[in-house]
Amino acid sequence: MRGPTQILPTDRADEMLINMGPQHPATHGVLKVVIGLEGERVTRAVPHIGFLHRNHEKIEEARTYPQIITYTDRMDYVSGLQNELPFILAVEDLLGVEVPDRAKYLRVIFFELYRLASHLVWLGTGMLDFGAITPFLYTFRDRERILEIVEKTAGARMLPNYFTFGGVRRDVHPDFFKDVADFLDFFEKRLPDYYALVLDSPVFQARAVGVGVLPKERAIARGASGPVLRASGVAYDVRKAEPYDAYPEIEFEVPVREEGDVYARFWVRFKEMEESIKIIRQAIEKTPKVGPYKGKVPARMKVKGSRYRAVEISRGHLGAHVVGDGTDRPYRIKHRSPSFANLQLIPDLLVGARFADAIAILSSLDPVFGEVDR
Amino acid sequence: MSRMPLPLDRHIKPKLVGYDPTRPRPGVERLAYTLFFGSLWALVVVAYGLVPALFRSQGWLDGALGFFFYAVIEALLAFGIAAVVALILIVVLRKYLGKVQERVGPMHYGPAGVLQTVFDALKLLGKEDFAPANVDPLIFRLAPAITFVSAFLMLVAVPVAGGWVMADLNVGLLFIVAASTLGAYGVVLGGLAQGGKWGMLGAFRAGAQLVSYEVPLALALLAVGVYSGSLRLSDIVEHQQGLWHVVPMFIPFLVYLVASIAELKSTPFDLPEAESELIGGFNTEYSGMSFAFFFLAEFVELFLLPALVVVLFFGGWHGPLFGLDPASFAAQALQSFYFLVKTAVWVWIFMWIRATLPRFRDDQLMDLAWKGLLPLALFGLILAAFLRMFVEVV
Repeated sequence: MRGPTQILPTDRADEMLINMGPQHPATHGVLKVVIGLEGERVTRAVPHIGFLHRNHEKIEEARTYPQIITYTDRMDYVSGLQNELPFILAVEDLLGVEVPDRAKYLRVIFFELYRLASHLVWLGTGMLDFGAITPFLYTFRDRERILEIVEKTAGARMLPNYFTFGGVRRDVHPDFFKDVADFLDFFEKRLPDYYALVLDSPVFQARAVGVGVLPKERAIARGASGPVLRASGVAYDVRKAEPYDAYPEIEFEVPVREEGDVYARFWVRFKEMEESIKIIRQAIEKTPKVGPYKGKVPARMKVKGSRYRAVEISRGHLGAHVVGDGTDRPYRIKHRSPSFANLQLIPDLLVGARFADAIAILSSLDPVFGEVDR
Repeated sequence: MSRMPLPLDRHIKPKLVGYDPTRPRPGVERLAYTLFFGSLWALVVVAYGLVPALFRSQGWLDGALGFFFYAVIEALLAFGIAAVVALILIVVLRKYLGKVQERVGPMHYGPAGVLQTVFDALKLLGKEDFAPANVDPLIFRLAPAITFVSAFLMLVAVPVAGGWVMADLNVGLLFIVAASTLGAYGVVLGGLAQGGKWGMLGAFRAGAQLVSYEVPLALALLAVGVYSGSLRLSDIVEHQQGLWHVVPMFIPFLVYLVASIAELKSTPFDLPEAESELIGGFNTEYSGMSFAFFFLAEFVELFLLPALVVVLFFGGWHGPLFGLDPASFAAQALQSFYFLVKTAVWVWIFMWIRATLPRFRDDQLMDLAWKGLLPLALFGLILAAFLRMFVEVV
């Protein structure tokens, strides 16, 4: 078998090879897919990645532990804050740091706020791929409100560098809980609009139902996770499988759908947004009103041992394997990123589809290249 | 929570203190739209009413030289109408999309951004008209012209008021079909001539789509022709004196509506350009004025296809005349006003559809044309024939 960089010109008269990306508008960043087309039918699809490779893992070996957090942010930049957690959890385990209750709940609130923000970006850009421009502006306007709340507390918007060892970096701003509750009320009123524009739209359904079907076995074999996996009928969610922070105390459901097509992936993410609203509401109720927001952490961290922790970010199972050699810098860090695994599905799903479907399938996989390439 | 002033802020501070260029100004916008509409109406009155009346009253039309000058002036005025319509519709569409999408739209050129298109046009004029290395230079340059001319040709046959039409063709409907089909050549040739793969895909899609939708479109027009007993557009409008065609000809109306949106290449049928799939499709490699001609053609069509909806199904220029003699100049001016208002409503509906729907897939598009619209159009044609017989017998 040829490697992906050794694609030769096609020898078939009825096939045309076309480079989709890395500057193609529907590749959500810098993916390049070499697509073979026979009319409008895709005959082969070879993804090329690495255009956004920034050498995170090696750079992190040369940084002290607190310095590393800000690098992890920059992996899945669409749901920035969520990326910090697996690394922080692993280091907390190795150091034996206790996280106070208030911090645990605050982490859950922020975590789910970023899930909402990320799914909104996905929904808007995904519908752009389907040719509808209006949902894109609606979702970005709603996301703006989330980022404003985060900005008030953390000082930054997309990459806030807010979680830290033992809790969160600073306490929330005075009106935080009211702001979040207001946003949730507002957002709940917007959701029916999104249903009408996307899931219930007959044109969208014609484009999405039965397109890009991913069988359960194939999804598991390729290591898919997140909404892509759950849309294929596997009820795997790290928040349930290996609960972290305050998730054990919160009741929520994991939306699962059996079909495994583009519509199912859209549906699962829609339901996840509804579940996120429920989770944040409960977390606001249960957060201790007073109390420390950060546990005791040694001033100079010397970490020894190895630990793997995972969380369920918007795109799936994000893990960090931290190996410490007893100094203040890690010996090795390995990030396991969901989009990277999900992208392996491209040849499976795209070959045999029509070209317009290929775009739809890519948008339903929702890759973010900061995290694929790292 | 107050924000610390950052050093960067001085770059984005407006020059005039207290002046915010993005402040919504609905009053200014309303005034501008009224002026736009008024100027278009004035141009129509001049082109269709005053100039022919002047030439006729002086008897200049009898001589060959007089007729030649008349034709040149009318052609220039028709081009003026097409250009003004495009300039207006581009900014109106952008403003309207802004409203739908809860943003302000263009705001920076002219009061409340209403002169945006003028500056866009100036920018496109100043841009280098770049052609990539492996294009077919002749066809590459010719294609935008073909598309624009075909859109512009349709304007000639459209009657705007009783007796106000540039060319009262007795085969007006066929002329419309022929002119709009010509536009498909421009799109297909433009896509193929640029030598890029995206352009080629766009050209394939455009060829398939435009040719397919010509068929139900032509059949729907034919049904109207059969029912009204004439292919002359002014006769068709006269025929709607009592009852607008939209009632008896409802099925051809639906077919025409869908097929004309497909002809227009706007969402949900924008597959030939499909910026998120084909990066612009047939116009990927076009820039400067070549691109502007495709763009202008699209917006002239965005005016003419709704105008044909009005002419064929919504009574054309008919409206209350308040006791005016239908042959008088005032009555004709009023009729052209009704025509423009009805057209504006249909333009708005076309824009609304464009703002709301996602895009179809190519095979679904073909299914819709051949399995959905074609039988429906044939049924509409048979129905029209029966209705015609019924009308003639009774």
